[in-house]
Amino acid sequence: MIATVVDTTALWETAVYSLIAGLGVTAIFSLALLGATRMSEATRDGRSATAALYAAVAVIGLLGTAGAVVGGVIVMTSK
Amino acid sequence: MSESDLILGIVVATALAFDFTNGFHDTANVVATSISTRAMSPRIAVGYAAMLNFAGAFISLQVAATVANDVVDPLAITTTVIFAGLIGAITWNLITWYFGLPSSSSHALIGGVVGATFVAAGADAVLGDGILGKVLIPALIAPVLAFVIGVLAITICYGILGRQRPGPVTRGFRFGQVISGGLLALAHGTNDAQKTMGVITLALIANGSIASDAEVPTWVIVSAASAIALGTYTGGWRIIKTMGTRIIKMDAAQGFSAQGAGAAVILTSSHFGFPLSTTQVIAGGVMGAGAGKRLSAVRWGVAGNIVVAWLLTLPAAAAIGGLTYVVTDVFPGVVGPLLVSLVGLGLAAAAFVRRVRHGEPVPAA
Repeated sequence: MIATVVDTTALWETAVYSLIAGLGVTAIFSLALLGATRMSEATRDGRSATAALYAAVAVIGLLGTAGAVVGGVIVMTSK
Repeated sequence: MSESDLILGIVVATALAFDFTNGFHDTANVVATSISTRAMSPRIAVGYAAMLNFAGAFISLQVAATVANDVVDPLAITTTVIFAGLIGAITWNLITWYFGLPSSSSHALIGGVVGATFVAAGADAVLGDGILGKVLIPALIAPVLAFVIGVLAITICYGILGRQRPGPVTRGFRFGQVISGGLLALAHGTNDAQKTMGVITLALIANGSIASDAEVPTWVIVSAASAIALGTYTGGWRIIKTMGTRIIKMDAAQGFSAQGAGAAVILTSSHFGFPLSTTQVIAGGVMGAGAGKRLSAVRWGVAGNIVVAWLLTLPAAAAIGGLTYVVTDVFPGVVGPLLVSLVGLGLAAAAFVRRVRHGEPVPAA
């Protein structure tokens, strides 16, 4: 009876997209922070190549976070 | 101006008053984590949340459509029924505010409207399938989903950053909370402001002011967005305390995870038109972020009290809504709603004065 009343597809999609968005943004932002902290340590130790690598991780992570947020809002407004 | 227009005016004013109390009541859900981890000062957090609540109200109309069409039969609705439902919701919001309990404004609104409709038009006018499929089942799933996302998110955060120096990581997550807190405020605006839009639209249809298949008028969107933003800015400080410090004592990573989990679930649900309790979802995220660190970090006694308040919300608001309809039905025309409004305003003012005099709320633990 419940299956006929509930839009299971919409509920399932809600669960899946929420998980992807919530965990995806968390992971990307955490990687950005990891890049930033390691970059700072590498710079302090004079390891410039390593610092540049971690800086790239930080920038990509931040851009990914911003992209996910903007993308999410665009999806919301497009319906 | 006809008598029905006068009643419509009272209903719209009451709906906007509900929207204000919704923002006032739910500010805590949005800003408590940012304040308790010192990501933002209280004033800045509340102002920021108010702005994004306002913006969020314009993003989507799916939830408004659900409230207007899927909960009760729109043809059985009168402006007096909606008025009684709103009084049920506002009264329950004020009672839970008085005791410092973060209950659900959404379920209060839906409960109030259902109770008043049941008394006015009978059980057939209550759309049981819509309530079960669009409200109750999503209401059960969403907080659990936010809890699971909160647990997994904090595990990811600690897994990636656990061995780093805490100072820079904490500062980083505080910055992250500016983003996640903003998304949460936006999500709150998309889901909660729309419920009021749906109710005002129902009242306009019931009064014959707009066609039953009409779009939500722009003035309704703007006024609902403004009311919830103003309520949010005014702030419900006592619930901020319960939400921000009494469920778990959180660090910045937990705050970020909890807000991210809540925002993801609410925004996605708004997209699919599920009128969620944002309170339940955010509390689920907060508990998940706490339990992900260690289970004993969550003060389960406080969480239990919140669950009891949630369970009571639908029936209590429905009972008050039904009772209000009986009272307004005794007095013909505009007299009933006017009388109830005046008594309600008097009781609300008395509650405010008493709470201000006594300071601390009755503890939630």
